[in-house]
Amino acid sequence: MEELSMKMQSQLQSFKQVQTELQKAISTRQQLDGQLNENDIVKQELDLMPEDGKVYKSVGPVLIKTDLLEAKQNVVKRMDYISNEIKRLDSQIETLEKKQVEHKTVIQKLQQQLAMAGGMK
Amino acid sequence: MSEISAQPRRGMQEIDLTQLSLQQIIGLKQQLEGELQLMQESMASLKVAQLRYQGSGDIMEKITPETEGQEILVPLTASMFVPGQLKDTNEVIIDVGTRYYVKKDIAGAKDYFQRKVKFVTEQMEKVQAILIEKKKISDAIMDVTEMKIAQQQQALQSQAS
Repeated sequence: MEELSMKMQSQLQSFKQVQTELQKAISTRQQLDGQLNENDIVKQELDLMPEDGKVYKSVGPVLIKTDLLEAKQNVVKRMDYISNEIKRLDSQIETLEKKQVEHKTVIQKLQQQLAMAGGMK
Repeated sequence: MSEISAQPRRGMQEIDLTQLSLQQIIGLKQQLEGELQLMQESMASLKVAQLRYQGSGDIMEKITPETEGQEILVPLTASMFVPGQLKDTNEVIIDVGTRYYVKKDIAGAKDYFQRKVKFVTEQMEKVQAILIEKKKISDAIMDVTEMKIAQQQQALQSQAS
């Protein structure tokens, strides 16, 4: 009985930990999604620019003139990076979700065992 | 500014509300209310974005070659201004996001803001459609909840008598 409730405690704790990790991963994933969208919109805008269009990049309080081609490449590079990050997070979320389900079944079993042990007394 | 789709997601299935227990229905209702709130919030921020683009677009109408050299007040902070002069009335620099700015002539800028207003308006229409749909479901859930509670009370009364 004692042993069972100890097990239960540690299981519950790791379940909660997985849950917080999962939530964190999901919120980061949402943030990245927003960034990807923003970059996509910027890319669309840059693609519409004429070849000799003037592009500036804000660095702190000043605007610095940038090459259009360079700006485009930069945005594409950033989008690639963000997409990769999203992929990484997606697989992380998947493993965490699996872990969560595993913990749930273990906890349910422990609950049953505890109820049984309690009933036998 | 993410694209919003009204397509039903994979794994969605129809459920008969009357088959659920009162507790399940309450859970569902809470979830739905959360979703509704989130959508109302995104509606509000879309509205702000729409007004901002609209406002910037309207200003473009006021910058004409005749205004060149005219005196203006340049805001340094929200409440402090310094006098300045319009030097170039042919081109403006627009913030397109992620710290990039592009130079456009007035016609190009007008086009840009018009496109943005259109885009935001489209997104708002999509959100609105989903919002209406969710509201309908929410109403249906309310009806079923009331029905269930009435049933329970009846059962209790018949037990008592």
